[in-house]
Amino acid sequence: MNDFHPGSRYLSAAFGVTWRYLHNLYTRPAQFIPSLLFPLFFLAAFAGGLSVVADSPDFGYYDYTAFQFSFVLIQASALAGVFAGFSIASDFELGMGRRMMLATPNRSAIVLGYAIGAASRLGVTWVLVTGVSLLAGMDVGGGGLDLAGMYSLALLGNIAALLFSAGIALRFRSLQAGPLMQMPIFILLFLAPVYVPQALLTGWIEPVASVNPVTAILNASRSLLAGEPTGVLAAYAIAFGLIAALTVWAITGLRRAEVAG
Amino acid sequence: MPVPADNGIEVEDLVRQFKNGPRAVDGISLEVKPGEIYGFLGPNGAGKSTTVHMLTTLLPPTAGIARVAGFDVATEGPLVRQVIGAALQEAALDPHLTGNEHMRLQTALQGLDREDRRARGTELIDRVGLSDAADRKVGGYSGGMKRRLDLALALVHRPRVLFLDEPTTGLDPQSRSALWEEVTRLSKEDGVTVFLTTQYLEEADQLAERVGIIDAGRIVAEGTPAELKAEIGRPSVEVVPRDPARADESAAILKRFGRPVPAAGEALGVRLSEGIDELVGIVRAFDEAAIELASLVLNEPTLDDVFLARTGHHLEGDEGAGDSGEIPLPDGATAG
Repeated sequence: MNDFHPGSRYLSAAFGVTWRYLHNLYTRPAQFIPSLLFPLFFLAAFAGGLSVVADSPDFGYYDYTAFQFSFVLIQASALAGVFAGFSIASDFELGMGRRMMLATPNRSAIVLGYAIGAASRLGVTWVLVTGVSLLAGMDVGGGGLDLAGMYSLALLGNIAALLFSAGIALRFRSLQAGPLMQMPIFILLFLAPVYVPQALLTGWIEPVASVNPVTAILNASRSLLAGEPTGVLAAYAIAFGLIAALTVWAITGLRRAEVAG
Repeated sequence: MPVPADNGIEVEDLVRQFKNGPRAVDGISLEVKPGEIYGFLGPNGAGKSTTVHMLTTLLPPTAGIARVAGFDVATEGPLVRQVIGAALQEAALDPHLTGNEHMRLQTALQGLDREDRRARGTELIDRVGLSDAADRKVGGYSGGMKRRLDLALALVHRPRVLFLDEPTTGLDPQSRSALWEEVTRLSKEDGVTVFLTTQYLEEADQLAERVGIIDAGRIVAEGTPAELKAEIGRPSVEVVPRDPARADESAAILKRFGRPVPAAGEALGVRLSEGIDELVGIVRAFDEAAIELASLVLNEPTLDDVFLARTGHHLEGDEGAGDSGEIPLPDGATAG
């Protein structure tokens, strides 16, 4: 037995989980490449195919590619969290979860490790999505601080999605729960003003979007990219609120996994 | 090496009941002394693995108390996990990682000092004889190699108590023997308390200083292998008459030499009242009665006999691991 400081030991376990997650991700292209192509497909389909929407007189945003970029950035970040949730489910289904539960004194370090892993993989995703958007002619209105705020919101979306997926994965401990992780995130994302600004939404989607927490985050992200920050504090408050609630969800999932053995 | 006094395991009325299921573990109590190798012997489904899962904090007990190295498994799980190592029945290994990468992961999970990680990993990989395969992906390892790696991983943080759940199941005799040597060394030289589950009589007999025999979730016997076998005392004989129609006559003959005992299949068994000297008399009696025997087996008392005496049935999964000596009979010949 070693007498390592408990805090250091906790972080060591979390980083161990992160290392393995990233190692397996980057050494298995079949797992990693689709997760990169996914947001690029959405960017091409929306920004390319729907750019005429920006010609609408009430559109009110400076650039349609930039408009879609904000959505794809948040979507790609959230899905990176969901994919990490898939890994948790797979690990528990195939036995590695048990090894980690057995070797880690404080088991919340396991969830933290996956969360760090999910956030770490964002770097590559962000560079790719941003690079392709810039090549497609996206204008960037905001300054460095605005962009930092925009990427931070995407990071918070990633953490929230990971915590939601982790809660599902730890409750079911099977990859068969994959749709339960992915679908709610997808639905929540697409019930936000994806194609047009919120002001242009009509019908049933308008009231739904107005209470969807993703709407506030997406609107704030777009305002930061435009260099005209609006509703940013509210967006951060919502994001942190989601993370707080979903942390409870993930930790109670961990407790369920512990009880199930 | 002096063994810390609190390295033992104490279990009192431990119960695990699964939802809508039977009591997999039904009120067991046992004590494992510090530095001891304790063999937990029983057939498949007896409750061995469930017990290990509770003692290693993978599964909360439904009732009862269990303390490992002085820590309560129900309320002090993190402390228990710091001092135990475990190699479970199915080695949970990542086929995409190499042996060395597993070591890197395990040393991180266990929170080893960074400077110590590589040296400890190399030392253990070497000790279990996997140095040549250390940079190969585990997906290509044989079953024995996976077991050895699993054992090495369980030892990275120098645990005080080691749990091995059927560690030699599926291993070839050479790998089994090597693992026994290492477990014995850990106990004798490093003072590690070892809790070993097995369904192999020979393993419990040779490796364990004390044995607990479990069946249907309850401990049916406990003691040193010698003590347990001494309870049975005398050898038994099993015969199979070539003509099944003469089974009753055969049973009557055997009854003259001792108390009938259950035997597998069509065999008839008797615990010899006067010991091995009666074997000649049995052979002569069958010869005089002109009953041909398909087989005649002399069984020295084994842990299986203890199991049989306590439960009325044999252990499963043990193949010829006892001390039985079969006396071959030529085809068509009568005994004697």
